[in-house]
Amino acid sequence: MATTLQQLALQLRLPDRARFANFYPGPNRESLQQLQTFVEQRESGSFFLWGRPGEGKSHLLMAAAQQVNGQGGQAFYLSLAAPELPSPAVLAEGMEGIDLLALDDLEQVAGRREWEEVLFALYNRVRQQGGRLLLAAQSRPDQCGFMLPDLVSRLQWGLVFGLRPLDDADRIRVLQLRASGRGLDLPDEVAGYLIKRYPRDLASLCALLERLDTVSLQAQRRLTIPFIKQVLERET
Amino acid sequence: MDAHLWKQCLDRLEEEIPEQPFNTWIRPLHAEPHPEGNLRLLAPNRFVLDWVREHYLGLIQDTLTGLTPEQPTQVRLEVGTRQQAPVDKPREPARFTRSSSREQSPLPATNHTLNSTFTFETFVEGKSNQLAKAASMQIGENPGGAYNPLFIYGGVGLGKTHLMHAVGNLILQGKPNARVVYLHSERFVADMVKALQHNAINEFKRYYRSVDALLIDDIQFFAGKERSQEEFFHTFNALLESQQQIILTCDRYPKEVDGLEERLKSRFGWGLTVAIEPPELETRVAILMAKAAQAQVEMPDEVAFFIAKRIKSNIRELEGALRRVAASSRFTGRAVTLDFVKEALRDLLALQDKLVSIENIQKTVAEYYKIRVADLLSARRSRSIARPRQVAMALAKELTSHSLPEIGDSFGGRDHTTVLHACRKVAELRETDIRIKEDYYNLLRTLTR
Repeated sequence: MATTLQQLALQLRLPDRARFANFYPGPNRESLQQLQTFVEQRESGSFFLWGRPGEGKSHLLMAAAQQVNGQGGQAFYLSLAAPELPSPAVLAEGMEGIDLLALDDLEQVAGRREWEEVLFALYNRVRQQGGRLLLAAQSRPDQCGFMLPDLVSRLQWGLVFGLRPLDDADRIRVLQLRASGRGLDLPDEVAGYLIKRYPRDLASLCALLERLDTVSLQAQRRLTIPFIKQVLERET
Repeated sequence: MDAHLWKQCLDRLEEEIPEQPFNTWIRPLHAEPHPEGNLRLLAPNRFVLDWVREHYLGLIQDTLTGLTPEQPTQVRLEVGTRQQAPVDKPREPARFTRSSSREQSPLPATNHTLNSTFTFETFVEGKSNQLAKAASMQIGENPGGAYNPLFIYGGVGLGKTHLMHAVGNLILQGKPNARVVYLHSERFVADMVKALQHNAINEFKRYYRSVDALLIDDIQFFAGKERSQEEFFHTFNALLESQQQIILTCDRYPKEVDGLEERLKSRFGWGLTVAIEPPELETRVAILMAKAAQAQVEMPDEVAFFIAKRIKSNIRELEGALRRVAASSRFTGRAVTLDFVKEALRDLLALQDKLVSIENIQKTVAEYYKIRVADLLSARRSRSIARPRQVAMALAKELTSHSLPEIGDSFGGRDHTTVLHACRKVAELRETDIRIKEDYYNLLRTLTR
């Protein structure tokens, strides 16, 4: 019975997918708009986004890929922190024919010569083909720890934007935005409660929200502080 | 099979497959309508195709069958991409490149590979590149002559590629039907590997030996690739013998490239070897002004000096900064003034925010107030300890993503309400007590420097 309920809950859940529309810009309004311009204009080049983990880089990269795909173009998104990371051959010739290549978590392959050479070659091919590269990492191109200066100078060539950290009020707004995308009502005091007691990076908070979404649907309960307390106590 | 079916299939798959792998492997596949009830899916390269086949083909097939049980659709995976068609016109018939046609002629087209904007006219001359430019112009006017090969070396982003293209463009100007081929060394290696795989090495050889000028960029990437060096060595000799021009660039002096055969190194020195040095301030300013004019950005001298003083390493980084300034100026509608540029380039020029740990904060705060970390973690409540502890807690909240209970734990197992109280107290004191305000900013600066 429990399984059936759980399955039912999963089916009824609204998917919360990364889109530009559900990105909360906070102090990053300009970065968001510049990125959207980059995606829409289709001018060849690169766009490098950096910032601390959990500030929304992956969200923006997937939203950009989604937008291009949704408009009949072809976009490819790859996180270099993926649990099952493919070999660098995934970026081999052919990839430059894609309209928008979004490569996330670049710092993960910094210092790995084979990856760096593949990225460097890819950059050159994309540029020659007139394509677009959208890249994200935790630091600026020159501070990611890449060993190939050739690669770094190319990454610096295009637009580089740093995402400013969100404060707690911003984080509450993000949580509420993501919750409303799921059809959930998340009152201020409940969001504030989560922010005060759990890791405040957005990736953890959004994952927590997803779990709460599932259980609230199963239990047919609204997200209240007592309900959340009960759920999270049960988990630990 | 209509495109609508693939769209329906994607919607179902999106529910089944987590967001990241969906965006990596499924979404980029390009569906090509096919009349006979088949669906042809194009993957950008062989690797992606194999991955999709191994991990997702069964699921894709099952989903399609579920959608049209009465008329099963067969999926065929192939390598290919939708060509660079405008993305906002999805209704236009898309054009495709199929791998088979690519693989039959893997060789670069002549002349089309040259960037026509890289000319001597657009090359900004300074002390650092004068010699290289003069030598390159001579070769452009008289290719295949005394200076063969031309070897240009220097650090990244100093204009080697620009000069190389400028020579190619000048050769074409003098002899419009000349066959000039520019390519990156990596492309030479890839083409050779492909030619070997397809038993087309003779075609490869014929092609590279038939050009009037061969321009290969960044030959340091030949290092360690012995078979490519061997092939290049023979191509090199053939071209030299029949007085066709060779131009090479490298990030260092030929003799210093590790993993390059001695005989190649020595041949590279037969012609003319010229260096490009990093540009001095005045040249950087001139480059910046020239690029700004090209980009139709009005840039006052003081702004150009401000940027050029701070970005010294390479021209690409200068161009990146200019691009950023232009983009921000368009976004805000503000003129490019010194104040504006300082703000727009803040995250390019400033030292980056470090990832700060709670331990690091405790250590820094303890040092600042000349107490011990152990005091911060202790139960002592005297003002001289409690205040720094509160400051450290507030900093931990501001600079890390740890939860308040976690922060409390790291300070000797305190409750999260204690942390909350500390944060409020410090916020209040920063308004009323100038010393606390200064302390807080000094610490913030130290920690994020």
